[in-house]
Amino acid sequence: MTSSKKVEKPEGAYIKKGRLYVKAVFTGFRRGKRNQHENTALLKLDGVNARRETNFYLGKRCAYVYKAKNKTLVPGQKRLNRVRILWGKVTRAHGKSGSVRAKFRRNLPPKALGRRIRVMLYPSRI
Amino acid sequence: MSTPSTKAVPTGDKSKKTTTTTTVVKTTTTTTKQPQQKSLSTLAVGSKVKKPKTTASGKKVVNSHSNRLLSNNGLMRFSRGRMFQRRALYRISKWKDERAKLKGDKTKKTAGSIQKKKQRLSPLKKKSIGGERNGKERLVRTKRFPRYYPTEERPKKFSVKRKKFSTHPRRFRSSLTPGTVVILVAGKHAGKRVVVVKHLSSGLLLVTGPYKFNGAPLRRVNQIYVIATSTKLDLSAGKFDELDDKFFKRVRPAKKDAEKDIFDTKKEKPKLREERNQAQVNVDKVVVNAVKTHADSRLLRRYLKSRFQLWNGVLPHKLQF
Repeated sequence: MTSSKKVEKPEGAYIKKGRLYVKAVFTGFRRGKRNQHENTALLKLDGVNARRETNFYLGKRCAYVYKAKNKTLVPGQKRLNRVRILWGKVTRAHGKSGSVRAKFRRNLPPKALGRRIRVMLYPSRI
Repeated sequence: MSTPSTKAVPTGDKSKKTTTTTTVVKTTTTTTKQPQQKSLSTLAVGSKVKKPKTTASGKKVVNSHSNRLLSNNGLMRFSRGRMFQRRALYRISKWKDERAKLKGDKTKKTAGSIQKKKQRLSPLKKKSIGGERNGKERLVRTKRFPRYYPTEERPKKFSVKRKKFSTHPRRFRSSLTPGTVVILVAGKHAGKRVVVVKHLSSGLLLVTGPYKFNGAPLRRVNQIYVIATSTKLDLSAGKFDELDDKFFKRVRPAKKDAEKDIFDTKKEKPKLREERNQAQVNVDKVVVNAVKTHADSRLLRRYLKSRFQLWNGVLPHKLQF
């Protein structure tokens, strides 16, 4: 953000931001053998392998980040961007092996199957 | 679930329990005498238990006709009227005196009640009327009858008892005490480790980098975008009373003339008020001092300058913050 006065920022302000989300994969929709319900997505979180470990992630926001052909405005950015996001949240655990159910504001597109989903660290409860 | 009596009855009396359990048979008889506290099981048939007038220590034995809770939700064993009888207050001079006082004072129904004296207006009042042959005065109602009687009940107004959100109590996580080092997890300063300065009345936290360390300013932040660590600083030296929500509220620029707006394509950059810059300096002084005097000051300084991030193998649910 350019300002009329040149403000000296401390040296500590210029460190690059690292990853602040947990990597997850969209493994599929909630389903029985023959019926699937697209309103709930199943996510496999990186490094989470037991049901009791999923407690930390309940309620956390998740984002499916993808790129599109047309550029659009992204909040917080001035330039038009190809990046788009579908937001959702982790609702509950799924099964015994650390998978998790998530609901997105709009259902995830099936082309997201097997793709990366970001599970953020907020809303934080610690 | 029976409550123990307040005065100890001598244990030498074998046939009497020291609890105020009363049998149903005993209480239904309305007696002028104070009913005795006996347990059926311990009485022999036809026996009469004599209650000692004084305890072993010489104190007078007083029957505590105490009520007891029947259940968790506040039901008492004896009603108010029944308790009055059991306690036989009408025999006690103090009560008698109070009643005598109340009898004289017609404004009060009970000793404890505060009653406003009702101004009773007469329902009719005299009103003078003009005109020769109209009989100069007429009796008219002081309060008129309503002009309209609705056939349906009017919709009830918003209940006053429901609290507005602004008056709701704000709760803070116990891990977020002032002086805690905290990781910002969202927003412009995500990943930075900052220090909690204060709890604000709106439920937000006031945090500062300090600015010198990581460029994070004195800023309000919601608790849900913050991970508390176990590192705590001692900020008791500083007083931050003037820093409240009003202080940090965004000040919208006053509306300019319409003419100026059309040609003025440049938007004025919002500049921080001087007092906010000053507040930043003052607060940071306290925080930096706290860091200096901390046992691990060197480590802490570098800790606050660093960023939090996740990398391969680091799992937040396994981290000890």
